[in-house]
Amino acid sequence: MQFGRGKPSAGAFYDSDFTTIDEVLAVGLLNGLQGKNDCRVAIVTMSRPNLAVCGYIDMVERYYRGSAGNFAQVPPIGMRTTGQPGETSAAFTAPFASKKRVNPVKTVIDTGDPNTLFRNYLQAQYDQNGFFILAGPATNLAAALEFRGMKELIAAKMKYLVAALPERNIKADVAAAKKVLAEWPTPVYVVGEDIGTAIEFPGASIDKEFAANSPENPFSDAYKAYKPMPYNAPSWALAATLYAGRPKEGYFKASEPGTITVRDDGKLGFTASAQGRHQMLSVDPAQKDKVLQAYIDLTSAKPVFPQRFRPPVADDKKADDKKSDVKKIIEEKPQ
Amino acid sequence: MITRKALPRRTFLRGIGTAAIGLPFLDAMSPAMAATTKSPVRMAFFYVPNGMIMDAWNPSYEGAFQELPRTLKPLEPFKDDMLQIGNLTHNTGRALLDGAGDHGRCSGSYLTGIQVKKSLVEIKNGISFDQIVANEIGKQTRFPSLELGMEDARQAGDCDSGYSCAYTNNLAWRSETQPLPPTLDPRALFERMFGSGQPMTPAERARQSKYRRSILDYVTDDTHKLETSLGPTDRRKLDEYLSSIREVERQIERAEKDNQQIDPHMDKPYGVPADFAEHFRMMSNMVAIAFQADQTRIVTFLMTREGSSRPYRELGIPDGHHPLTHHRNQAELMEKVRVINQYHVQQFASIVEKLKSTKEGDGTLLDNSMLVYGAGLSDPNAHLHEDLPTIIVGKGGNYFKTGRRVLARRETPMCNLFLTMMDRMGLHVENFGDSTGRLDGLDLA
Repeated sequence: MQFGRGKPSAGAFYDSDFTTIDEVLAVGLLNGLQGKNDCRVAIVTMSRPNLAVCGYIDMVERYYRGSAGNFAQVPPIGMRTTGQPGETSAAFTAPFASKKRVNPVKTVIDTGDPNTLFRNYLQAQYDQNGFFILAGPATNLAAALEFRGMKELIAAKMKYLVAALPERNIKADVAAAKKVLAEWPTPVYVVGEDIGTAIEFPGASIDKEFAANSPENPFSDAYKAYKPMPYNAPSWALAATLYAGRPKEGYFKASEPGTITVRDDGKLGFTASAQGRHQMLSVDPAQKDKVLQAYIDLTSAKPVFPQRFRPPVADDKKADDKKSDVKKIIEEKPQ
Repeated sequence: MITRKALPRRTFLRGIGTAAIGLPFLDAMSPAMAATTKSPVRMAFFYVPNGMIMDAWNPSYEGAFQELPRTLKPLEPFKDDMLQIGNLTHNTGRALLDGAGDHGRCSGSYLTGIQVKKSLVEIKNGISFDQIVANEIGKQTRFPSLELGMEDARQAGDCDSGYSCAYTNNLAWRSETQPLPPTLDPRALFERMFGSGQPMTPAERARQSKYRRSILDYVTDDTHKLETSLGPTDRRKLDEYLSSIREVERQIERAEKDNQQIDPHMDKPYGVPADFAEHFRMMSNMVAIAFQADQTRIVTFLMTREGSSRPYRELGIPDGHHPLTHHRNQAELMEKVRVINQYHVQQFASIVEKLKSTKEGDGTLLDNSMLVYGAGLSDPNAHLHEDLPTIIVGKGGNYFKTGRRVLARRETPMCNLFLTMMDRMGLHVENFGDSTGRLDGLDLA
């Protein structure tokens, strides 16, 4: 195959309401996966109208993408303009205390319409060469299913959706979660309540790996401002993102196929069926250290700016350059 | 009781041979004591290629115009009639898996909102928005639309990385496979507008040339008859109008004479002047006449074609336009592009002035027009398809609130503007190209 002419790594679409630090760190993990050529970050969208949060996420994206260059742009963050803006955690404002960081989002003009961005960036993907990650209420994705031609486009371009659906996310928009699970036209993998609390992101890594690997990273200040340190963070979004980028790595166990439904109380139901398009993901205790290792290494990795031509990397997915001492970090887990 | 019969709007001065000259709107065309007759709305697209140096196009502010940025300076006298719209995007101009060829794609999709097929032989686009409007209202005028250009009308060959010249050399598309090639030759346009609708045969042209007759000479009888039935205001208006036609005719004759003297082997139609500004002035004067006489309400004008490497020696720039735009952020090259960008706007300002100075009803022809001036790329060095340079001059019949800069949300489809303009032209459709709705934030009247 001629260099640069092959099918690129999968395009990643990430949607969240960014209410937890886990959902923010997952953007870092996604970009870490991009740095390893496991995916290409296509677009990040947000399901609540909050400019302050959007500005922080935009700044994070620019940290990873670098400035626009030949034939490439830094796309806007897609932001829903209806609904409630919700709380603005100090995690999203504290990082701008550093004069090196500039908030590029001043008004809604600096953001994009999620459906337009979904459509535009789906059109730029090869068939069956992308995935969606839902790490928040399903509001944006449910709206996308109503958009002209979108369902067909998703079916053509996307391989799967990985949805982090703890109760909190479902209850935020029950109708949307029901609609997405019922109508999404690709296989859907669901991270339920258990994974997020069973494997928590180790807060101790902020002053260790993050400080050592990428001292300019936009997460350390956010993490420290989110809650009083030390604390570990539940990892629903991180789990969904890691599985989406490396589905064959065996980080989590996938159930047999079936149909997942959403009950009115926000709980999930699962019915096994050979024709089902849904699978539940669960923790594999034997993989816990490996998962934590990936969380730390990928979220704290230095940015690798997107390149126009970059061949798929087949063998280095396991060859992370720096292995942090996960066991030690786990032992240091705050009580 | 007033019984005066109004002159029909589509009255022509006809004469010997094939001459047929449409008339401007005259008071005599208004039924006596009738409510004010509503003037038709016209729209035109002036396309310039190879993007812009955006720091000289975008002002640093939003809202009411203050000092205009450098490229737009020639439009300073008309800034109260101008609306600048930022952040419009043509996603279909992007590669979308088709690789190189941004110039071919961006002009091909500019008015269609369709990703064109990358091919030299299997041409596939979509019907352009101007033609959708022309299909609807074109029957009301002599020409449903006019397609004009100034540089290159080749319809075959490779004009950009595997994209046919059909994509770079046409703006208007009647169907997904049928472009409407622009008229480049002022003489051909003149004969089409004031003759039978078709260019004259060489024999007809030779006969006319031999006797050095003006097209106006052929309609003398009709003109005299009409004048006797007009009031003094209408007579003056008619006289000014016919004088403007005669002036265009003289310009064409001068160009033809100059061409014979300058270079008999030049690779241009006989009547095309060598001077860019002169060529534009002649073509745009005829656009003004066509609008004034309601010969058409729709014009597309490809000022030069996408990927054009035309040098601008008249500005002291011997380098090709397209190579210059790949400036790699070198200040000297960027400066030359800024000069070219402003020069194009300067030409465009001449037709704005013409329409602004032409009275129509209680206002001007410009008030009842929507002249869109823009490009299919923004930053040409990066080949970006977002924040496309776009201005609308004219209020579209008190439709647009002008005199300001409006920013749309990033990635807003250009086709959203087209839907909004279609509404104004009396055509209400739900979707066009990759539109996602009407354009927000314009405070339409």
